[in-house]
Amino acid sequence: MIELIDNVSQLAVTFAAGVGAGMSFYKARSQPYFLLTCFFGTFTLGSLHWSLYMLLFNSTPQVFYVSELAWIASFVFLLTLDFTLSTPGERRFHHPAAWLAPVIGVPLMIFYMTHGEILGNLLMCGITMVAAWLSIRGMIFARRQNDVRRNRQFFHIAVLSIIVIEYGLWTASCFWVSDTLTNPYFWFDFLLSASLFILLPATRKAVEA
Amino acid sequence: MTYIENVFVCIAAPLLVAMFCVGKKHFRVFLFFIGGMSMCLLSAYLNTFFAGYYNADLQDATTQIAPVIEEIMKLLPILFYLLIFEPKPKEVFAAMLIVAAGFATFENTCYLIQNGAAELSFLLIRGFGTGAMHIICGAIVGSGMVYVWQRSWLKMAGTFGLLCAAITFHAAYNLLIAYGGSVQFIAFALPLLTLVIGRILGKLLKHLPQQPN
Repeated sequence: MIELIDNVSQLAVTFAAGVGAGMSFYKARSQPYFLLTCFFGTFTLGSLHWSLYMLLFNSTPQVFYVSELAWIASFVFLLTLDFTLSTPGERRFHHPAAWLAPVIGVPLMIFYMTHGEILGNLLMCGITMVAAWLSIRGMIFARRQNDVRRNRQFFHIAVLSIIVIEYGLWTASCFWVSDTLTNPYFWFDFLLSASLFILLPATRKAVEA
Repeated sequence: MTYIENVFVCIAAPLLVAMFCVGKKHFRVFLFFIGGMSMCLLSAYLNTFFAGYYNADLQDATTQIAPVIEEIMKLLPILFYLLIFEPKPKEVFAAMLIVAAGFATFENTCYLIQNGAAELSFLLIRGFGTGAMHIICGAIVGSGMVYVWQRSWLKMAGTFGLLCAAITFHAAYNLLIAYGGSVQFIAFALPLLTLVIGRILGKLLKHLPQQPN
């Protein structure tokens, strides 16, 4: 039951954020809002399919995760958004801290592969690692600015939060405790819903900067 | 047992003859229609193969395997068309819809052969449900492709995103149908409902600026 509540609440959050992003796109007609709408749209579709399956059949898909395809697509849009928002100066900037993304991500990816399928994990972890790499670099670069461009750090912090929570979620799913709130998986998933919603105001700040 | 190859040959033969008679202007319409039917035929083979490979039952096959295979197969002729012929945006949308129509027509034909054509009311619902669902999935991908293929920064992510959106829509539809009962009538209404919402959204976004980069 808690899993269904968790999924339905995430569906509601991403749908609301998607509508918000869509309205921002309609007003501003800018690329970042379009990509953000696509991110929330595809994420919502994935959650919709997952929640629908749970609601109708009282179980999770057993053969192939259709929802995972939608979630991978949503992270492709997030990666594109991360790249679109970066300035030429930021793209030239390098910082060793960015290497934290593959240093932490690769061992975890191998760990997930041993617990699940190879291709899906390779794609998802690969995309999130590149997004984390861009976000760490972008956050450090933004924090070194003294003008309004400093506000871009909030976008990068939001993206990093989503990725860190996702990794926590995937790790928790490898050690399934129970279908109750004592399972850390649900803590991470509720946190993920909150961080997904924060992405909308954070992107607004980045676009305005 | 349904000999779908024989059904395919029977339907495609007059279309092929007509295609060579109709002239250059309407040649592509027939080609894409036959292309859609061919993709439906190949999808049937692949669905059977993967259902056997994963040892999936009918419910798993229809809700988790078929949507992925069918949507990927429907996209292939359009990707080929886009990459080789570099058509105008309007032509891409029309081509995608014709491929989807060919696919839906052939699927419905096979359904009729397997289940008979006695109940007109149910066939009407199926026609405007499952048939229309393929068209809507085609319209989602086609209309999106018109937008994303004009922007180099969005081509890959956009195409993948659109494909996943179509797959998820198709899978959600199949889920509702597989559950049966009154829930399946929600599914039958879904394509037409999506069409209405799509038209409204299309009108709202009509004044978007064209960005060639």
